[in-house]
Amino acid sequence: MSGLVLLQGEMAAGVLAHGVGERGDLPIPLFYAYAGAVAALVVSFLALGLLWADSRFSGDRAGRVIRVRPSARPARVAALLAALYTAGRLLLSPAEGNAGPYLVYVLFWVGLVPASLLFGPVWRTVSPFRLLPDRPRRPLPARLGYWPAAAGLLAFTWTELVAPEPAAPPTLLAFGAVYAAAQVAGTLTYGHAWLERGDPFEVYSTLIGHLSPLGRREDGTRVLRGPFDGLDAVRPAPGLVAAVCVLLGGTGYDGFSGAPVWVDALQASPLGRTGLGTVGLLAAVAGVALLYAACLGVAGLVGGTRGLAPRFAHSLVPIALGYLVAHYFSLLVFEGQRAVILALGLDRLGVEVNRDVVGPGTIATVQVVAIVAGHVAGVVAAHDRSVRLLPPGRAVAGQIPLFVLMLCYTLGGLTLLFAA
Amino acid sequence: MRRLIRVAAVVLVAGCGPLSQTHHNPGNSHEVATVPPGGRAGEARADISVRAGRVSPPSGWLEARRGQTVAVTVTSDVADELHVHGYDRTAELRPGQPVTVRFRADLTGVFEVETHRSGLVLTQVAVR
Repeated sequence: MSGLVLLQGEMAAGVLAHGVGERGDLPIPLFYAYAGAVAALVVSFLALGLLWADSRFSGDRAGRVIRVRPSARPARVAALLAALYTAGRLLLSPAEGNAGPYLVYVLFWVGLVPASLLFGPVWRTVSPFRLLPDRPRRPLPARLGYWPAAAGLLAFTWTELVAPEPAAPPTLLAFGAVYAAAQVAGTLTYGHAWLERGDPFEVYSTLIGHLSPLGRREDGTRVLRGPFDGLDAVRPAPGLVAAVCVLLGGTGYDGFSGAPVWVDALQASPLGRTGLGTVGLLAAVAGVALLYAACLGVAGLVGGTRGLAPRFAHSLVPIALGYLVAHYFSLLVFEGQRAVILALGLDRLGVEVNRDVVGPGTIATVQVVAIVAGHVAGVVAAHDRSVRLLPPGRAVAGQIPLFVLMLCYTLGGLTLLFAA
Repeated sequence: MRRLIRVAAVVLVAGCGPLSQTHHNPGNSHEVATVPPGGRAGEARADISVRAGRVSPPSGWLEARRGQTVAVTVTSDVADELHVHGYDRTAELRPGQPVTVRFRADLTGVFEVETHRSGLVLTQVAVR
């Protein structure tokens, strides 16, 4: 009886962030928050004064070519089997102790971050949709850009953080079915070009993969390159800013959604929990995007250059990555164990999650270092792009709004870690 | 070289840390008492009531030190089930009857205390 009730309750526990997980992170100590904020401020101003005056990053042309052609087919077949296995577990296993939600929210969604950071655009390499033939019936409209991926990322984030029962198998199966149908339809119409821009997880993995030492040029050549060159190779396209803002805003909402103030508001809201949660998530993404648009507008005025907004979106990628690491590190460490234990059936052998692998001090340190490192990388990337795009006399002044923007994101991220 | 190995071994062992004791110490688990609220010294306590789907006092944080005993007393106006996340303590709630869940806070982090059927977060236990 109790077990049955427990299982329903587990599924109803939608208020806690991350879709799955039993535990939230403690607020970081005040000293950590200050140390992070001061480091971010100092680095920003040093960058303004001390960094190079001529652009150094050469984007897609950079790097040393490595002659490996990984044969992707077996990996894609394996990924397809893994996806089918996950769907099977979601469909057939009892909801209690179901490995499916952990495989989706922890190993896949969170695991893609370190995997892409180490090995480049991994989802592109293993995506089962790339087993479909690449025979476009018509070319992908250029104005579509990353918008489909931005919408897909928003839908997934909503499912994870706002949906009434994020970890319930029906929720995940519904999302998976719609996602797979959209990718198959897109690929059959536009060929593999669709996946590059329309598959939310490929875009997510590829954007983070731009920071990987194992890079992939647009022509498919594998190269060893520095993360800043990789970042510089992100090609601006419509919807790129939106996709990055969804990642940043969604993770920001994740940090905020556990705060008692917000939990109370959700529980007392006349809109219902899902209604207010949706409003909150959209507001977080819109807030991030508006701040970006405003600061880039000012940068354009000060720098006397138009159309800057899409060309600085790449500098938000490391900041979004910092947010992702800060919010998901402990989840990956703890619930990643649970994912493996449940998937392999080790729970029946009495294997348990080791909760003492990392302590609160380590978690807080990782969180602050991730946020500040993301900030530093964003500042460096934006600096290099500024000195390339802005007239020399205005390059320094034109960067100030960009640094203000990044400081806002960074201080906002630290505040979430400290206060929520 | 040997020193390096020793350092690596120490780091490895320290990294693995002590194993979780929750299920190894029998007295330490599933200790749910249905007693009326009565304070014990040194406990982190919360007294919460749920009426018409509203939590009072409003859902907040209950601070506890690691190793401290946490006692959460809940009175609900409807039958429900109480669940402490992470520690996995559950208790049946009967209408109007206060129920106390008492456990030793041996895991750090923030853990929700919620009702299952109404899906309300009653409080979050922050163990440092």
